[in-house]
Amino acid sequence: MAELTNLLIAELKRTWIQTLRYPSEVVGGVVILTAVFYGIFLSTQYVAGPASTFGDRLDAVVVGYVIWTLVLYIVNDIANNLQLEAQTGTLEQVFLSPFGASKVFLVRAIASLSLRILLIGIVLAIIIAITGSQLAFPPILLLPLATLLLSAYGLAFFIGAFALVLKKVQQVLGLFQFVLLFLLAAPTEDLSGSARIAANLLPILPSTGLLRDLMAKGEGLNWQEWLVALANGLIYFALGILVFRWAESRAKRQGSLGGY
Amino acid sequence: MGFKMLALESHNLRKSYGRGKRRFEAVRGVSLSILPGQVLAFLGPNGAGKTTTIKMIAGLIRPDAGWVKISGADPHRQPQALKGVGAVLEGNRNLYWRLTPLENLEYFGVLRQMPRQAAKVRAKALLAAFGLEDKRQVPVQKLSRGMQQKIAIAAALIHEPQLLLLDEPTLGLDVESGETVKEFVRQVAASGCAILLTTHQLNVAEELSDRVAIIRQGEIVAEQSTQALIKQFSKGTYRIEFEGALSEAQRSAIAALGATLSDHHIHYSLDSLDSLDSLDSLAAKSSDQTSSHRHSAILYKILSLLDPLPLVEVRQDRADLTDVFLQFTQNKDNSFSNPQQEASTRQKKDKKDG
Repeated sequence: MAELTNLLIAELKRTWIQTLRYPSEVVGGVVILTAVFYGIFLSTQYVAGPASTFGDRLDAVVVGYVIWTLVLYIVNDIANNLQLEAQTGTLEQVFLSPFGASKVFLVRAIASLSLRILLIGIVLAIIIAITGSQLAFPPILLLPLATLLLSAYGLAFFIGAFALVLKKVQQVLGLFQFVLLFLLAAPTEDLSGSARIAANLLPILPSTGLLRDLMAKGEGLNWQEWLVALANGLIYFALGILVFRWAESRAKRQGSLGGY
Repeated sequence: MGFKMLALESHNLRKSYGRGKRRFEAVRGVSLSILPGQVLAFLGPNGAGKTTTIKMIAGLIRPDAGWVKISGADPHRQPQALKGVGAVLEGNRNLYWRLTPLENLEYFGVLRQMPRQAAKVRAKALLAAFGLEDKRQVPVQKLSRGMQQKIAIAAALIHEPQLLLLDEPTLGLDVESGETVKEFVRQVAASGCAILLTTHQLNVAEELSDRVAIIRQGEIVAEQSTQALIKQFSKGTYRIEFEGALSEAQRSAIAALGATLSDHHIHYSLDSLDSLDSLDSLAAKSSDQTSSHRHSAILYKILSLLDPLPLVEVRQDRADLTDVFLQFTQNKDNSFSNPQQEASTRQKKDKKDG
C-alpha cells in the first residue's frame, strides 16, 4: 500500500510537472475551456437536453456540462495515455513495472483527473465571476459522483483494452462521445419496469439520474438507488480491469505491446 | 567455489507470429544464460529474432513455449521478477522528455517500487557517475542524444537490477558519447549486474562482451566466450617483414617449414603445419605439447633462419567479431549448429583448397 501511495505521489508529480512546465499550454487550455463553457452557458439547450428533465437553472447546466467533460476526459484518458506513451516510446517501460500495467494506468488516471479538476475549477471560478451565477455543491453530491467515476473508469479500461489490442481507436473514441452524451443526458430516472432495469444495467446511467435528482430537481439522495448505482459502478470497474488484463495478455501474445 | 545464481536463464524460448500460411517462427528454441557481472553480446542480422527474444526475457512478449528466469523468478508469472530487470529498448526514447534527468530517474525508481527518498538518492548518485550533475535540472528534450541515452541507461539502472537489457545502446551516438556509454557498461558489469547487449556495431560487442551468442533465423548458431570464438576463427597466419636479402639456402629452409616467401615478407599459416612431411620430426617431438607451442616453435625456427637480417614487424593476423559474425550469418545452408564443429570443417576445407 505504501508503494502504491508512493506511485500516486510520483504520478501526480509527473503529470503536474509535464503539464505545468509549459504554462502557455495551460493558459491556452483554460481560455478554450472557459470559452466553451461560456458558450454552453449562453445556449443551455444544446447540452442539457430537455429542460424539463435537467431543470432550467443555468448553474445546473454548467455542472452538467462539467460532469460530461470530466467523464469524457476520464473515459478517453487511458486509451489516450496508451497511444501517447507508445508514440513517445515510454509505454514498454510502464509495462516493465512490477506494479502491473492496470495499477499504473489507474493511478495515472487518478493523477491526471486531479489536474483536470483543478483546471475545471479555475474555469468555473472564471465563469462564476463573469456571470454572477451561484453554484451549489451539496457534499452528498460526492456519493453519486463517486459511483459515476467508478463506472467511468471501468469504461476507460474498456477503451484502453481496445487501444491495446486494436491500436487505432481514434474513430471509436469519437463515436463514444455520443454514446456518453446519451448515457449522461437520457432521462432514465423517469423510466419504470423493464426499461428501468435495463437502464440500471447500462454503465453510468444510474449515477447520472441521481445527480440530476440532486442538482436539478432539488431532491434528496435516494439511498436505494444509490446502492444500485454503486453496484453498477463496481461491476463496470471490475469488468473494465478484467478486460484490460485480458487485452494486455493478448497484446503480449501477439507481441504488439509497444507498437502503434 | 560457491554456487552463483544465474542472473538470467532462458530455456528453449519459442515464438511464432501469424496464422496458417502466414505463420512464421520468429524464435526457435533459444536458450541463454548470463552470470552476474557478465556481458553477453546477442548478435544477429535484422529480423533474426533478437528483439523478440529480448522482449520475451523482459516479460513484454509471451513465449509460445519455454521459460525465462531472472535471478530465479519468472517475469511472466511473478511480476516481482521485474524488479530485477532494467531495459533500454531500441528505437524508444525510454524517457519523459518534459521532465529533467533527476525527475525522470526518481519517477522510474518509484515505478520500480523503490521508496521515493531512496530513488532520489540513487538518482543523484547515478547522474554524478554519468557526469550529468550539472544537467540534472534541464528538461531531457534539451539535452544531446548522447546525454539522453546515458540518462535512459541510468533510468534502467535506478533500481539496481540484476539484469540489464541493452538494445543498441550506442546507435546514433557520436564517437565520444559512444565511448562514454561503453565505459559505463563496463562499470555496470563490474558492479555485478549481468548485461544482455544487442548491437550491430560489432566492434562495440567485441570490446564489451565476455560471451557472444549469434542468432540466425530464430536459432542460436553460436554461443561461447568472445575471445575463444574469435580465436577459433582466426586463421593464425603470421606475417614477418624483414629488410635485406635472403640466401637461397635460407629461402629453401624457410619454405621447408611451410612458410611462403616474397621479397621482404614471410607468411606462415598454422594450417600448414600438419600437412608438412618435413616437419614430422618436429611435430613428433612436440606431440604432447599444445598446438600453440608447436606453432611457436616453428615461428622461432623461421626467425632464427632470418638471423641476422633486421626485422621490421612480426604480427599475427587475427579475425575480429565481424569476420565471425559474417561467417555464421551468411552461411545459407542450415547444416551447422555447432560452431566448433563448423570451424573445424572450415579449417579442413581451407587446407584442402590451399
